[in-house]
Amino acid sequence: MKIEKNRFYEDLSLILMRTKQAFFAVGGLFLLLLFFFWKVQVLDFKKYWSLSEANRTRESVISAPRGLITDRNDVILADNAGSFKASLIRENCQDFGRSVENISRLMQIEKTDLEARIAKYASFPLFKPIIVKDNLDLREVSRVESQKLEFPELVVETDARRFYPFSTLAAHVIGYMQELTPEEMNSDSYKGRNLGDLVGRTGVEKEYESLLIGADGSLTEVVDSVGRSRGEVARVDPSPGHNIQLTLDFDLQRKATQLLEGREGAIVVLDPRAGEVLALASFPTYDPNKFIARFTPQEWMDLINRPDDPLENRAIRGLYAPGSVFKTTIALGALSSGQITEGTTFFCGGTTRFYGRPFSCWFAGGHGVQNLPQAIQHSCNIYFYNAGRRLGVERIAEYAKALGLGALTGIDLPGEKEGLVPTEEWSRRVRKTEWYPGETISLSIGQGPLLVTPLQVACHTAILGNRGRKVVPHLLRFPSEALEQAEQISDSPARTISAGTFEKVIKGMWKSVNEGGTGHFAMVEEFDVCGKTGSTQLISRERAAKLGKEIKTHSWFTGFAPRDNPRVVVTVLVEYGGMGGATAAPLARELFNLYKDKYD
Amino acid sequence: MIDRRHIENIDWFLIILLVLISLVGVLVVYSSSHYLPGKYYLKQMLFIGVSLVLLFLFLAVDYTVLTTYSFYFYGLIAVVLAGMLLFNQLTAKESWIKLRYFQVQPSELAKIALILVLAQMFSEYKRNYVSLGAVMASGGLVATFFILVALQPDLGTAVSFLPLLLGALILAGLKRKALAFILVLSVLLGVAGWNFILKDYQKNRLTTVVFPGKDPRGSGYQILQSKIAIGSGGFSGKGFKKGTQSQLRFLPARHTDFILSVVGEEFGFLGVAGVLTLYFLFIARLFHSCAKSRDRTGVYIIFTVSMMFSFQILVNVAMVIGLFPIVGIPLPLLSYGGSSLLTSFLAVSLVVNVKMRRFVNI
Repeated sequence: MKIEKNRFYEDLSLILMRTKQAFFAVGGLFLLLLFFFWKVQVLDFKKYWSLSEANRTRESVISAPRGLITDRNDVILADNAGSFKASLIRENCQDFGRSVENISRLMQIEKTDLEARIAKYASFPLFKPIIVKDNLDLREVSRVESQKLEFPELVVETDARRFYPFSTLAAHVIGYMQELTPEEMNSDSYKGRNLGDLVGRTGVEKEYESLLIGADGSLTEVVDSVGRSRGEVARVDPSPGHNIQLTLDFDLQRKATQLLEGREGAIVVLDPRAGEVLALASFPTYDPNKFIARFTPQEWMDLINRPDDPLENRAIRGLYAPGSVFKTTIALGALSSGQITEGTTFFCGGTTRFYGRPFSCWFAGGHGVQNLPQAIQHSCNIYFYNAGRRLGVERIAEYAKALGLGALTGIDLPGEKEGLVPTEEWSRRVRKTEWYPGETISLSIGQGPLLVTPLQVACHTAILGNRGRKVVPHLLRFPSEALEQAEQISDSPARTISAGTFEKVIKGMWKSVNEGGTGHFAMVEEFDVCGKTGSTQLISRERAAKLGKEIKTHSWFTGFAPRDNPRVVVTVLVEYGGMGGATAAPLARELFNLYKDKYD
Repeated sequence: MIDRRHIENIDWFLIILLVLISLVGVLVVYSSSHYLPGKYYLKQMLFIGVSLVLLFLFLAVDYTVLTTYSFYFYGLIAVVLAGMLLFNQLTAKESWIKLRYFQVQPSELAKIALILVLAQMFSEYKRNYVSLGAVMASGGLVATFFILVALQPDLGTAVSFLPLLLGALILAGLKRKALAFILVLSVLLGVAGWNFILKDYQKNRLTTVVFPGKDPRGSGYQILQSKIAIGSGGFSGKGFKKGTQSQLRFLPARHTDFILSVVGEEFGFLGVAGVLTLYFLFIARLFHSCAKSRDRTGVYIIFTVSMMFSFQILVNVAMVIGLFPIVGIPLPLLSYGGSSLLTSFLAVSLVVNVKMRRFVNI
C-alpha cells in the first residue's frame, strides 16, 4: 500500500537541505587536504626525502691510533690508552642555554669555561661534536649514559688517547700534543683533521706528525631518534699511524734526567759514529700527559709563565757561552794554522795584561810554564789568551764553525737554535760597533758574545773524537744500512785539520780527565775518557769581587770515550752549577759508567 | 523490540566500511608498533571485536527509547566527569577510569550522551531558525562537558564536543546574526582561554602551526617529523614496515594521533588518497543516511554523528600535515585506542539504529 508522505512522516525537507550543504562543505575540505598531501608528498618529495635521510644516518669518525714511539730497545715512551670523551652536539639541543647549564653541572665543568670552549668552535656546523671533557672516569661515563634520553645532545665516545707511561722522561724529545685551534682547522695544512683532534706541538710528536697520524676511518650508521645505532651502512677502516723507534736509550735517558733533578740544565749523550742521540735531557721538565687534557687553561698558563721555563728544551734551544770548552777549538785552530806547536809554552802567573787591561786565570796562583797538553789539562786561561790572540777573531770564527759551533746541527727536532760565533763583520752589522781586540782575548776562553747550545757542543765533541768527521745528530732510528751510508757522508770543513793535530788536543783532553786535570771527576776506570770542562762567567771576576758576592758560573763538561774509536759522547751543562770540573764532570762520569756497563 | 524487517534494513554497507577502515588501522598500528612490547595490534583487534558486538547489542534498543532517557545518561556522565575531576585534584591527573581488565575514558562516552541529548532537545523543534533560548540551552549542555573535560586536562576531546553543538545548531537553523555571534563569542573565549586556561605546552603547539621551523627540536619537532615522514613517502611510499621515520621512532605518537603520517610514509600519496577515499565514502554514507530517518530526532542523531566524524577526521588530517595545532584528536577508527574506537562504533550503531527503524509500524 502506498503511504502518502505527509500523513505519517514529518516534513524534514528544510533540515535535510541543511545536511546536504554541510556535506558539500566537508567534501570540499577533504579535497583541499588531499591537495596539501599532493604538495608535500609529490611536489616537495625530494626535500623531505633528504631530510628523512639526514635524520636516519649518522656519520662518525673512527680515529686512527697514533703510531707508538719507542726507545732503541722497544721500550714504549709514547703509548695509546683507551679513554672516554664527552662531546656536545649543538644540533640536538632543545634549549641551548639550559643544555649548557645541565652539562656544566653534570660534567662538573665551570660554566664560563664551557661557554668559552663552545664559543671557540661557534663557526663550525651544528652537527659537529664539540668535545667538552675527555679522559672521563667510569662514574662520569655512567652518569652521561644513564641520562642519554634527557640529554640527546651529549654523547660519550671512546678515544685512543696519547699516554706517556714515563710522564716527564724525555718529555722534551717526545714533545707534547695539543688540540687543533679553529684557525688551524681551516688551514690547508690540517685538511681532513677533525674538530678536537690533537696534534704534536713540539718534539718528535711534531717532527714526525705526518708519519704518526695515519688516516682516520669513517662509519655511517642508521640511528634512531635517540641516537641509538641500528646497524652500519658503510665503513672505512682507519689505517693506523706508523710506529717510530728512537735512537734514545731508556736507561741513559732516565739516568740523565735523574742526574739533572733539582738543577737547571741539559745533558746530551751521543753516539759519535753515526750521530745517534742516546739521551737528550733538559731540566726542569714537564708532564706531557697534562697537555692531553683539554680543560686546564690555568695549568697551561702556569707552566708557560714559570720563570725556570720547563717547556724549553735547553739541549737544543738553550744558548750559553761555552767557556773553557772552547779552548780545544782555539788549540786546534792555532795548531792547524801553525801559530803554535804542541811544545809551544806560555807562562801563567795568574794574571796578565792585554791592550792595557788585566786578564786573569781562573787559578789565581798561576799555572807556571805550560805547554799545550798541560794547558788543556789544567784549562789555563793565560795560555789560550795568547793562542787566541795569535789566531785572531776571524780565524777563531772559521775554526769554530768548522767544528760545529754556532750552526744548526740538523737534528730532527723542531725549534733548534743556531747560536752565534762572532766576527768583525757581525759586530759591524749587528752591534754597529767595531770589534775590539780585547774581545778576542775573552773569546779565546769561550766568553763574550759567543753562544752555543749543549747539542752543538756534543756534536763538536763528536767531531773531535772522530778526528774531524762530522755527524748529523738524529733521533729517528734508521736501519743499519742507512747508518753505514751516513758514515760515508763525512765531508766536512773540519777535515782540513789533520788527524795528528786532533791527537795532540785529545792528548790534553785525556790528561784533563785521567791525570788530575780539571776533568778528573769524569774519570772512569779502563774507559779512557777524554774531556774538557768549562765554567762560563756571567759577569767578569773583577765585577763579582766588587759586588762582594759569589756569582755562580754555568758549569760545562763535554767528553768522549774511549780515546780511540770513541763510541759515546757526553755533554753536560748545569746552569749556575759552579765550576765545570766540580759539578758537570761527576754527572758525565755517571753516564760514561752506565754506558760502559751496558754496552762494553 | 526488534523484528525481522529491522534486520533487513540494517545498513551493512556502512558497517562493512566501518570494519574495513578499522582493519586498515590494525595494519598500520602493527607497522608502527610491532617493535614495541605490548602487542598493540592484537589489542586493537580485540577492541574491534568487542566494539562490533556492542554495536549490534546497542541496535536492540530503539533510538527513541535512548533519547527519551538521554538526560539520565547525560547526568550520569556529568557526575562521573565531575567526580573524576574532584578525585584528580586530590591525586595525580588521569583522564581514565581504570577497571580491572580494561580502561574507559568517560569523556569519549560523553560524546554519545551529547548526541542523544541534543537530538532529544531538538526533536520537536520545528521553527525555521533557532531561538536564542535554544542556543543557550544546548550550548549550556555542551559547555558543561567541555569545561569538565578541558580541565582534566584533555583539550582534544573537549574540542571534539563542539562539532556536535555546531551540527545541532546548523540543523535547527542559524541566522547570519547568530553565526556572527558565535564567531565573536568563540574569539572572546579563545582570547580568554589563551590568557587564563591554556597551559604553556598547549600555547606552544598553537604557535608552532604558524612557525614550525622556529624550534625544530622543541614543540615544532612533532609537526616537522610528521611532515618529513609524509613527504619522504613520496608518491608510492617506502613500503610496509619500511618507514624510517616511524621505525626509527623519529615520529611521535606513531600508532595514535600521528598514524596517518605512517600511512603517508609507508604507502605514499596513494596510501593517503586511498585512506581518505575510504573516509570520504564513510562520511558520504553517513550524511546521506540523514534522509533515511523517519523523524527529526533521527536526522539530528545522524547529522551530529556525521559532523563528529567529519570534524575529527579533518582536524587530525590537517594536524599531521601541519595545518592545525596539535590538539590531541586521534584519527577515528585508524588510531590505536579502545575508547575512541568504541565511541565510533556506538555512534555508527546509532546511525544504523535510526536507519533500520525508518519505516513506521502501522
